[in-house]
Amino acid sequence: MRILFYTIFFVGASLYTFAASEVLANRHEAYLDRINEVLEWRAGRVDPADLETGNHGEISASLALGQHIDWASQRLINILEEPRGDMFWMFPMTSIAYLGKDQLSNEAKQALRNAWRDYMPMRGDTENHWAMYYTSLFLMSEFWPDLGGEEWYSGKSSQENREEARDYLIWWMNLTTSRGQGEYDCTHYIGEYMIPMLYLSVWAKDPEMRIRGQMMVDYIMADFAIDTLDGIYIGAHARTSDGQVLEKWNGLSSFFSWLFFGNTPPPRNYGGWGSAFAVAAEHYELPEVIYRIATERDGPYLHKELKRTRERWRNSPERFTRVYKTTYMARDYAVGSDQGGLLQPIQQHSWDVTWAVDDPRGVHNTIFSLNPHWSTEEMQMYFTEYPDFMPEAVTKQGKPSYMAEDTFLGGSPYEQIYQQDDTIIALYDIIEGTKHEHINGFFSKDLARLEEDESGWIFVQGGNAYIAYFPLAPYEWKPLENGGKRLYSPHRKNGTVVQAASADEFESWVEFKNAIKKLPLETITKPVPEVHLTTLRGRQVVCIYGEIPKVDGNPVDYASWPLFGSRYMHAEPNSRQLRLTHGQLERVLDFETLSIRDRVIEKQPEEFDVWMIRP
Amino acid sequence: MRISAFVRLLQQILLGVFIFQSTAIGNPGEAKHTLYMMASLTKDFTIGRRTLHKSGVFRSNDRQTLEHVGFHHPRIDGAAFDPRDSSVFYLAALNGILGTRDRGQSWRILTGWNMTEPKDVAVDPHRPDRIYAALPDGIILSQDQGKTWAYKDKGIKRKYTQVIAVDRTHPDRIIAGTELGIYLSEDAAERWKPVLPTQATVNDIVQSPHQSDVFIAVTQSDGAWISSDCGSSWKPISSIGNSHTLHQAAFHPKDSEKMAICGWGAGVLTTEDGGITWKHRSEGLPSKNIWSLAIDPDFPNRIYANPYQEAVYVSDDFGRSWRPFLFDGTLVFDYVFIPEE
Repeated sequence: MRILFYTIFFVGASLYTFAASEVLANRHEAYLDRINEVLEWRAGRVDPADLETGNHGEISASLALGQHIDWASQRLINILEEPRGDMFWMFPMTSIAYLGKDQLSNEAKQALRNAWRDYMPMRGDTENHWAMYYTSLFLMSEFWPDLGGEEWYSGKSSQENREEARDYLIWWMNLTTSRGQGEYDCTHYIGEYMIPMLYLSVWAKDPEMRIRGQMMVDYIMADFAIDTLDGIYIGAHARTSDGQVLEKWNGLSSFFSWLFFGNTPPPRNYGGWGSAFAVAAEHYELPEVIYRIATERDGPYLHKELKRTRERWRNSPERFTRVYKTTYMARDYAVGSDQGGLLQPIQQHSWDVTWAVDDPRGVHNTIFSLNPHWSTEEMQMYFTEYPDFMPEAVTKQGKPSYMAEDTFLGGSPYEQIYQQDDTIIALYDIIEGTKHEHINGFFSKDLARLEEDESGWIFVQGGNAYIAYFPLAPYEWKPLENGGKRLYSPHRKNGTVVQAASADEFESWVEFKNAIKKLPLETITKPVPEVHLTTLRGRQVVCIYGEIPKVDGNPVDYASWPLFGSRYMHAEPNSRQLRLTHGQLERVLDFETLSIRDRVIEKQPEEFDVWMIRP
Repeated sequence: MRISAFVRLLQQILLGVFIFQSTAIGNPGEAKHTLYMMASLTKDFTIGRRTLHKSGVFRSNDRQTLEHVGFHHPRIDGAAFDPRDSSVFYLAALNGILGTRDRGQSWRILTGWNMTEPKDVAVDPHRPDRIYAALPDGIILSQDQGKTWAYKDKGIKRKYTQVIAVDRTHPDRIIAGTELGIYLSEDAAERWKPVLPTQATVNDIVQSPHQSDVFIAVTQSDGAWISSDCGSSWKPISSIGNSHTLHQAAFHPKDSEKMAICGWGAGVLTTEDGGITWKHRSEGLPSKNIWSLAIDPDFPNRIYANPYQEAVYVSDDFGRSWRPFLFDGTLVFDYVFIPEE
């Protein structure tokens, strides 16, 4: 009997292992296919007879595929006659150097060498700039390891460049894994961290920097995966764009979902920088645990993160300020937020509810509100510039809506947000005389329902999500050029209460509305906005502008906010250790010991149950 | 684009040599100083953007022609020269403090990763191996010509520093313009004390070439100030007001009665009676948003002014009339005049 039992167990386990490994193999094969698709697309734009067209993207893709080599050499020589682009030049040139090491002509290699001597790229003023700049400088100083300062634009020897770059990258990694990323959860700039970290993991000769690169790719991908709804990056972002803040899928972040999770279509042109990642992507394999965090959720979950602001040079007593992020993820929708305030210049997005859709292309599957704000104080907080020219200059530098009264992008110093599960309370106390003294609420063209109730609640349905939206002050509707409408509320004492739920939780739309209307809700706007609400999940929340929110009578404990905290991700501030779990899978990224530890655990530790959402 | 502008652009791109727009500026022999200008020639420049024009340091020995020196670097806020040898100079550039020892033939980024975006640099005239720099996060000092650096901002509450000036007559006396006021050090930046609180950044501090104990400071929100005791105390220049951001100030190098100030919306303001009265001198300029200005020591009554993203304009009658002089759509951050050797 015992023999039979063990035989059955062994065969069963073998079949399971075989099936699992087959799934893994298939997934990896699909991943490689997608990489190839990107490279073929980019290299396919090359006309080998045309030496006037094609940039570093075509060159590096061609080199990655081993195609058009003569063209790549000659074209590289041509474009290096007048190098421009700073760190956006440096990292493509780094990939070309490594991919072309055994393929480029000697003349092309010499042109590349000369460029790193004669062209001084700007180091920039953001963390993504520096990640690209110093990763490239590190790798190129390893590529040419023994040159003197006269051979580098910096005037520093290969060794000096390498040490400076290494010191910065380690400092940044330590800061990020201790206090959170500065440009956190960016829908586009995620690529400008992923690409250099991938290059570091693939091409660094220094084993420490190589493993650091790999760990940071894992780290950023895990940070991304936890906040995706079917591949769509949801919630608060340090930086996003006028387009992607509405059409949530449409940006570079979705390239990474498509590439790694296979659960969303690729954005147009693979998000722009996708091919720069693809040229080295075959050397990276997404850990199973991260894949599962992104794609296999066994129920709603709450997730918290600690991040930090961009460096504040002026108008602040602190260089970095803490950012408290919350995400509630369910099958049909997600709710995400930060605490409000000016956390990043220009492109901040502080909260939203996003609902799941079958095909996200062209869909505005989100709802949120904000106080449109621009100011020279904001500019000078984050930029080392004179004040007056900055706001208008920003609008000419790829951020056209910065000063617009109808913008849906940007943070406000007059907004305070608290999220309890899938409830958002955003309060506004706008000072008189500021640039815009109103609230914009975004109501999508893709809402299946929109009903204004006599109770003051606005009920909407997006996909299979029911959402209740309560404005604290009177409003009017303004049509939007690309469909949908803007809730315009010209009152300085203001607020928004939002409660989301899945349609499956209710027998009917009417029942949902009745349930919301029964929720105890008190709001006042003067002297400061104030909300007392019992949420759909039964939590008593009190938010008063300027005070710490209270839940069930207790003030929210911001002091103990985790660096990452949820059933899938666990890290304490300053620990430099991130623990990823999913089912029986566990991976620990330990930046203290520079180790990656994978193991199979019996079950999730009980202490993680605190993050589970119970009906 | 006009043909002449196109030809000029072509010259700029191909030769890196710039021809001044006006030919009747002055005789080449009149120039006793070499003019260095730190300029960005790309309108609405952003980092990473492809640029057509070379930016950075431009040098003119004769005010007739201009030569681009060193690297293309669109953001250089200031320059300072070694008084012992003008082939040695330093730049406050976005990439850090850059130094050359051969008149711009070769360069080295003297600072490391942890010092960024310097706004100003000053060489100590008493001990020229000492270099001070104003950074967004404080003040740094090198005592070995930029080989090593250390932060020296003890006593400064808000560290952002826009400008730093070394008193040419008092060793170890340094004056700094910060986010929230002017600070003074009398021990070579070891300790600082506040001498003028402001609401926002102090943008420029300059020492009179005539009376060494006189300094002028201009600010973002608090107007212009004058000190007659080497920066220990400051009095407002009340006739200038505080309704505009003031960017830069300049003393006439030869006439102690003449000074000029510029700013955003303020245009060019001049005095010819030692600061008792100030007159608006912006007529003929395309806007009153004046980014920078300088007074040329080699030409009587010549002021250069750079309206925001316009040409550099020149006046040879101390601001009464202006004409375009050089570049189109540019920002000049600083002008330095170095005596011919």
